Amino acid sequence: MNKKCIQWLTAIIVVAMMGAFVAGCGGDKKAASYPTKSIEMVVPFAAGGGSDIMARSLVKVVMDKKLSSQPILISNKPGGSGSIGYAYTADKKGDPYVIATVSSSFYTAPLLGQSPVSYKDFTPICGFAMDTLLLVVREDSKYQNVKEIIADAKANPKSISVGGTSGTSDDAVMFFAFQERTGTEMKYVPFNSGGEVMTAILGGHVDMAWVNPGEALGQLEAKKARAIAVASKERLKEMQQVPTLTEQGVNLVLAQFRGIVGPKDISPEAVQYLGEVFKKASEQPDWTDGYLKKNSVEGRFMSAKEFGDSMAETTKMYEEFLTLAGKINKK
Amino acid sequence: MEIVGNLLQGLSVALTPLHLLFCFIGVVAGMLIGALPGLGPSAGLAILLPITVSVGDPTAGIILMAGIYYGAMYGGSITSVLLGVPGDPASVMTVADGYPMAQQGRGGAALGMCAIGSFIGGTICVILFTILGPSLAKIALTFGPPEYFSLMVLGLTLVASFAEKTPIKAYTAALMGLFISTIGLDLVTGASRFTFNQPKLYEGIDFIVVALGLYGITEILLAMEDDALSFKFDKKALSWRKLLPTMQDWALTKWHILRSTFLGFTVGMLPGSGATICTFISYAYAKNAAPPERRALFGKGAIEGVTAPETANNAASVAAFVPLLTLGVPGSGSTAVMMGALLMFGLQPGPLLWENNPDFIWGLIGSMYVGNAMLLILSTVCIPIFVRMLEVPFPVLNSVVMSIIIVGGFSLGNNLFDVGMVLAFGLIGYCLRKMDYPAPPLILALVLGNTLENSLRQSLILSSGSMGIFFARPVSCILMVGALSSIAWIVYKAVRGARKDAAALTES
Repeated sequence: MNKKCIQWLTAIIVVAMMGAFVAGCGGDKKAASYPTKSIEMVVPFAAGGGSDIMARSLVKVVMDKKLSSQPILISNKPGGSGSIGYAYTADKKGDPYVIATVSSSFYTAPLLGQSPVSYKDFTPICGFAMDTLLLVVREDSKYQNVKEIIADAKANPKSISVGGTSGTSDDAVMFFAFQERTGTEMKYVPFNSGGEVMTAILGGHVDMAWVNPGEALGQLEAKKARAIAVASKERLKEMQQVPTLTEQGVNLVLAQFRGIVGPKDISPEAVQYLGEVFKKASEQPDWTDGYLKKNSVEGRFMSAKEFGDSMAETTKMYEEFLTLAGKINKK
Repeated sequence: MEIVGNLLQGLSVALTPLHLLFCFIGVVAGMLIGALPGLGPSAGLAILLPITVSVGDPTAGIILMAGIYYGAMYGGSITSVLLGVPGDPASVMTVADGYPMAQQGRGGAALGMCAIGSFIGGTICVILFTILGPSLAKIALTFGPPEYFSLMVLGLTLVASFAEKTPIKAYTAALMGLFISTIGLDLVTGASRFTFNQPKLYEGIDFIVVALGLYGITEILLAMEDDALSFKFDKKALSWRKLLPTMQDWALTKWHILRSTFLGFTVGMLPGSGATICTFISYAYAKNAAPPERRALFGKGAIEGVTAPETANNAASVAAFVPLLTLGVPGSGSTAVMMGALLMFGLQPGPLLWENNPDFIWGLIGSMYVGNAMLLILSTVCIPIFVRMLEVPFPVLNSVVMSIIIVGGFSLGNNLFDVGMVLAFGLIGYCLRKMDYPAPPLILALVLGNTLENSLRQSLILSSGSMGIFFARPVSCILMVGALSSIAWIVYKAVRGARKDAAALTES
């Protein structure tokens, strides 16, 4: 009996070890013609979140269409608002088998002194989508446009409550910059996730919030919530009826590019190979219709050079926003 | 009538051989995942996410994931009862009475009642969900920041029930838990607190790290110092029938099961820490509702103390689908992963799902009935195998458990830092145990601490600093009054106790 038990327990341990290591495989040998082994794609956030879904959807297209000669494996390295995953990737200098996805904290965390690595520690590979923010209210809200909100905020300072996802997120930066530009005072109520913010809007606990279009889509389609403005330069393809903030007289544009970076000093042929793989993937209907359209994300492919330029520009944009926001001090 | 039609349609979807197979695989995988300390339902789901998505058919995929989810909810009770190590926050309370039962050789009965309670709780909740459906969303929406804060305060005041003689030690342990929960980046300002510039501490300390140390390592340390400590085990008693709960067990627990089902369903529906807090509330409630002679047994191996929280957490795991499917908002880490899977299948969770993909929704609901039944059968068949695990000699068992704990700690973030913290919390737990500080309040406070703090600050921002907001809203007011009176009751009892002691002294 004892023997059996021990065998059984050994089986458990093996399963546990496999579970533990399934996510964490990578390597660092240089090879003659890239790629000769699987590529690790680091998502610096937990599985199931927005960044993770985007990365997995993109990689699924690459795998389904057999665009890469070697498999790409997603590895979630959450923690430290993304800084752990980014530090891990930056640390693999010269290793083209570790790449990472870029999200807003890639830019904001180093500016706020919360990450040891900044965009200068990475090699840009490509950009593939643009994400922005929507100003959303509940369907029965009294506000129809931004002007009414500003007028009400001026008439009753500190009465409008705006939900968001924490002191340093995109939407917080947007909120404080908006206050500064329009000379208004409102209440910023931080929540743990975009989901909680949407619940608070639907339950009438906060008046409005800046959210990513994908997070609000379900509620907008079900006519439980309304979008009042979008923070991008031009109106979104999928939401032509929603005017931009600039159109409504507030001159603020916030848009960030989702893309892929590698560690510093990786070979140009590796950058070119990966760039081509993701370019082909981003043209597949599985990606354009299957992901972009359904999540209201604007697809826009950028080469390594374009994405490198945009990384510098985006950092500058966040620097301006953070300074404008004032409340969040640069360190 | 429409509901019956929909349900029959759903069951027919769930009963196709392919979906039955996926449901079975999910429940088995879930039980194994849940049984591994360190791998809770959400981590397990995240690891299996790529496999699920490669299935291709959304209905089969979600049936598989739902199976893993409630399989893991039950699986968590296996290690909690047999080894005294909870795998996820929702099974912490199961340890309190389940582990003593295993030490007394009644581990099989404890696991059996867990399975029966889980089955009844799960099934009643699926029935409620079937009938009420999307209209349940309204209840979840009435809970804003003030209501959450009041609920968390109520939950925390209940910690006194875990140490009747020394409530002060229970409260001290809870304060320690609250302190640990403040480590990390502050939600409101983004400032880092108690992190010593360690990026690894920015996200705070994971509950699992603390639980693995405080329960797992501490238990092993205690076993090491006491060679004689081993399970009373009569090999002849290992026949299948003797391992199952008796009619007496059932008579003792049936009302607790019903109450906990109701509690689990209503509290579990709230996005946030619903599943955990309902296990604590239902444990405290079961203890207070029990007759005095049974109440004294709580914490020493009372079957009610195992059944109530286990029923509640399975009820809550069904209820967690309410915000996901009706609002498109994930209520927990596990449902967040499932939402991710839905998005990858190209389905938008939310109110429109019921109109646009009825096959999917009703197929999932149908599979919940099937999955719960499967879980009951599987667990009763497997209990003898699980219980035999304890036949392994203690030195072997402990080294195996130790390696599982270390691997579990490592798997959290794939780094050794967490392993070090697990070991450190093991030492802290050992000292606390020696000084008689109970562990559950610390864990409860750690799990609820973030929500407590955030909801307080959110409420005060909304009310521009006025505490009145907690009493101005009906639901919040009721919860707050409940919390305050539970504190008053403890103070009253303490004062009365002191008077009695004084009177006894003067008389003699």
